[in-house]
Amino acid sequence: MKLYISELGTAARDIVADDMILTTDMPTCAGSKMLDGYKSLFEAEAVTRLRDAKYSVYGKANTGELGLDLLGETSYYGACADEEGKLTNAVAEIVKAEEARAGLTLEVNGSSARAAALSSLTYIKPTYGTVSRYGTIPAVCSGETVSVTAKGASICREILSALAGHDDKDGTSLPQEKCALLKADAPRDSVKKIAVAKALLASVDDETAVMIGAYVEKARKNGIEVAEIDAEELRLARPAWNILMSAEVCNNVSRYDGVKFGYRSMDSTNIDDLYTNSRTEAFGYLLKSVILFGSDVLSTERYMDVYDKALRIRRVVSDYMNSVLEGADAILLPACSRRSYTEEEVKKNPYIAYDESLYTAPVLITGLPAVVTEGVQIVGKALADNSLLDLAELLERGGER
Amino acid sequence: MHMDAMKLKKLEKLNQLRLEENEREDILAFFKKAEEDMGIFDSVSTEDVKRMVHVMPMINVIREDVSSQPFTRDQLQAGAPEASDGYWQVPRLVE
Repeated sequence: MKLYISELGTAARDIVADDMILTTDMPTCAGSKMLDGYKSLFEAEAVTRLRDAKYSVYGKANTGELGLDLLGETSYYGACADEEGKLTNAVAEIVKAEEARAGLTLEVNGSSARAAALSSLTYIKPTYGTVSRYGTIPAVCSGETVSVTAKGASICREILSALAGHDDKDGTSLPQEKCALLKADAPRDSVKKIAVAKALLASVDDETAVMIGAYVEKARKNGIEVAEIDAEELRLARPAWNILMSAEVCNNVSRYDGVKFGYRSMDSTNIDDLYTNSRTEAFGYLLKSVILFGSDVLSTERYMDVYDKALRIRRVVSDYMNSVLEGADAILLPACSRRSYTEEEVKKNPYIAYDESLYTAPVLITGLPAVVTEGVQIVGKALADNSLLDLAELLERGGER
Repeated sequence: MHMDAMKLKKLEKLNQLRLEENEREDILAFFKKAEEDMGIFDSVSTEDVKRMVHVMPMINVIREDVSSQPFTRDQLQAGAPEASDGYWQVPRLVE
């Protein structure tokens, strides 16, 4: 089990970054044979900000190919699993073992949220646009977000406070006055009411249902009103996200052709063979599936009926979630349907990440902030990241204010 | 189902990929599953709904067109699989 792709060997070990975040002093391979050993000429803004704040970013953790999978199992460097074949996740294992104070990941398709839920860690996917994506390997630019995993909400807040801020180098970066709302000392409202999304609870296993029930009970005991909502609209998010995600991945990986950087097949006699052999040999099966699906939804024949429709469905889901958040301060969803997954299961069903994106697609497609705490996922209004972390911290401490 | 093996082969060519036959069957099954899942869209009328490209209100970031971190040709070619004399090398293009 390979947890680290590389380490600096420094005495200070504060932050481990996943392998989608560019560093100049360590390789960045995106879990892909295509980028094996790739050394970037520039560093991610998120890494620079952490280093400027005196955090040591000391290692790069193993990640799934372009972050598309369930927990990192599609990595060229192998899946992380225990002796019984139960899948784990490199960043989550490192943070859980307290080798790092926090993990910095590029959340692409929910793997970081699932990993935090399964490892009983705290995680925040901040509001889209508040943490610079400059210097991350592009996969799904309209939804992917630099995220933080740690042992507890207070550490997440501390790291997020160092990361948040406008960046001219990122065209999707929000203005500074909005990013500043994520600073630890920024004013915010507290969460007084949570809406529980019933539609997504129906498909979780008993253990997960009990865990969610316990969280709800704990919230109620702490004076937080809890209401149930049907939330059938959230079911629209998975297929729409799959369409948009695949289309963006298809475009973003067109740069990997074996010519300017990355893997090159040595068995090619002409340029077409060079492209095809390099991509075929270097890309994993899940990534190939996503590329082909994305290429199809962008075709002339399918664009209006599928891709265009998905962009409109994105607004339907966003409007729905924002309307719920007018009457409640947070929405509670599962982060995943079960408490464990095995390597064997993923071999039998390589599309299990697609199934599980039912729970993570709503926040990725809308850009809303989400916190995973005590195995559940709470979603808030845009820029209400600190309110979610306050709630998580309060309940993690057992309700002591 | 919209997708079939012939169409899939065309997509492979377009995307410079080559699948094994068994992979093709599995990917077709995935297309089928994803298409079935899209059936849920039929219940939602989106004619009057605007496309949502950006999840947050975006403003154009306008700045001076000045290079702030120029890389040299050598730096840019350092990661190339094959390069010499300042050129990226590829197999012969014209017979």
